[in-house]
Amino acid sequence: MKIVNYTLISLLTVSLASCKKEGKTNESGKDSLTAKKDSVIIPEIHKEYYGIYTGEFFGAEKMIDETDGSEYEGGTYKKISLKINRITKDSVYGQSIVSGNQRPFRGIFNETSGSFILDEPGNDKTDGRFEVKLKGDSLTGKWNAFNKTAVKAPAKDLKLVKKEFVYNPNFMLDKDSNLVDWSNPKEFVEKYTDDTGKTESYTTSKNRVASEAIFKLNASKQKLTEKDLKNLRKLDLEIIKNSVFARHGYSFKKETYRNFFEQTDWYIPVSNNVDHDLSPLEKENVALLSRFTKYAEDKYDSFGR
Amino acid sequence: MLSAKRNISRLSKILLITGFGYFFWLMLKITLEYIPFNPNVSFLMIKQTEVEQKPEYLYFFYTHVYTSIFILLSGFLAILRKDFGVKNFHKNMGKIYIFLILILAAPSGIYMGFFANGGILSKVSFVILGILWWCSTFKAYRLALQRKFKDHKQWMWRSFAFTLSAITLRMWKVIIVYLFHPDPMDVYQIIAWAGWVPNILIIEYLITKKQI
Repeated sequence: MKIVNYTLISLLTVSLASCKKEGKTNESGKDSLTAKKDSVIIPEIHKEYYGIYTGEFFGAEKMIDETDGSEYEGGTYKKISLKINRITKDSVYGQSIVSGNQRPFRGIFNETSGSFILDEPGNDKTDGRFEVKLKGDSLTGKWNAFNKTAVKAPAKDLKLVKKEFVYNPNFMLDKDSNLVDWSNPKEFVEKYTDDTGKTESYTTSKNRVASEAIFKLNASKQKLTEKDLKNLRKLDLEIIKNSVFARHGYSFKKETYRNFFEQTDWYIPVSNNVDHDLSPLEKENVALLSRFTKYAEDKYDSFGR
Repeated sequence: MLSAKRNISRLSKILLITGFGYFFWLMLKITLEYIPFNPNVSFLMIKQTEVEQKPEYLYFFYTHVYTSIFILLSGFLAILRKDFGVKNFHKNMGKIYIFLILILAAPSGIYMGFFANGGILSKVSFVILGILWWCSTFKAYRLALQRKFKDHKQWMWRSFAFTLSAITLRMWKVIIVYLFHPDPMDVYQIIAWAGWVPNILIIEYLITKKQI
């Protein structure tokens, strides 16, 4: 019995060694969820399904009308990525990432129907269960929050397509992108005088608009100088800076940046921390852009220079 | 009737003094941003090209910043033309004002003018401003030595009009940004000129028409 045990253990170590080598190509260093214990014994199946599935994440959301406080149903639309890292006979491992919220999941894969049931850990109020079906390169299905009252949109649909994430410093925002930042309106009071001579004031809002500079300056490729940036507004500086992070697949928490980069077909949010992936040139440019952003914030409209 | 007039002039004096006090306070706060010494704060945040490539830039910059606040104060105290019971107060304040400008603030200002933000338009403006500042102050100094006090007074008004551009330039900036939200360097080109040209025009008007 003992001898059998020993041979089994040595056999396992051999298989473990070979397994690890292969596994490395699929598991990037960032993935926090790579089940170490199970990987020893259980063989992986369906490696062809590993990868990033990215696309739409949408559903009805409870909204509250600002004027009268009544509730109504609105739509929510976000970009989501599901990463399938590992499939074994009885487990699937991976992670989901939506607007900067990166969550691991674990679940099962039904080979005959080609469907996944994937559960997020449940210790975050935004966690839930994905039930998705694989068909060719597309992954579609739904998601339900565990805690239906904690989130605004407890049931959502997914429409994803498998995409290869590649970093490319040449990626830029499309020239025909919408330049308006719809998510940060600035309120101000305007006055108007009617025919009878009565003056009334009302509050209206203005949206920031980016300039064409965001199509010209690429902080991943060229060394930016102070001269390049001096005449730019805060929004331009922020977009040029965050283009670097978008190229590396950063998943933005801020709606402004999501709206800008989700207009492109190359942007695939895959991580909530890409700081270590930046090239030395990008790091330098990001530091410069941050400095100018701070200057724009502190000084643009203040008494000073 | 006469007392009413006196009251009005007293009121305008008080307004002028509180107004200056307020803007002097703002300028003092700007100066204090550069204490303790840090070559990467405030205005210097967008001046790192010069800071890194021109080893002398920071010396000129700090000379200008640290002396200017004393120039504003001594200039204002001297222009009141009162000794406040202190012997030779006006004369000594005037000396501080003149020598700080002639030796330190104007030369360093002219140097920085060559590297001003906003391109050639603002560079030309700041260099001209610096030269006029130095010349008007020097002329006023010479006239005081020659005891030609009427002319001395007029040239001091000119000099102080240029000195006050430090405040008016920043006031224009706030107004223009509030009204039109232009791009930062477009603002800069405008205020480079708006900061001092109206000042000197007003003073010339007062000198010729009102005989101050």
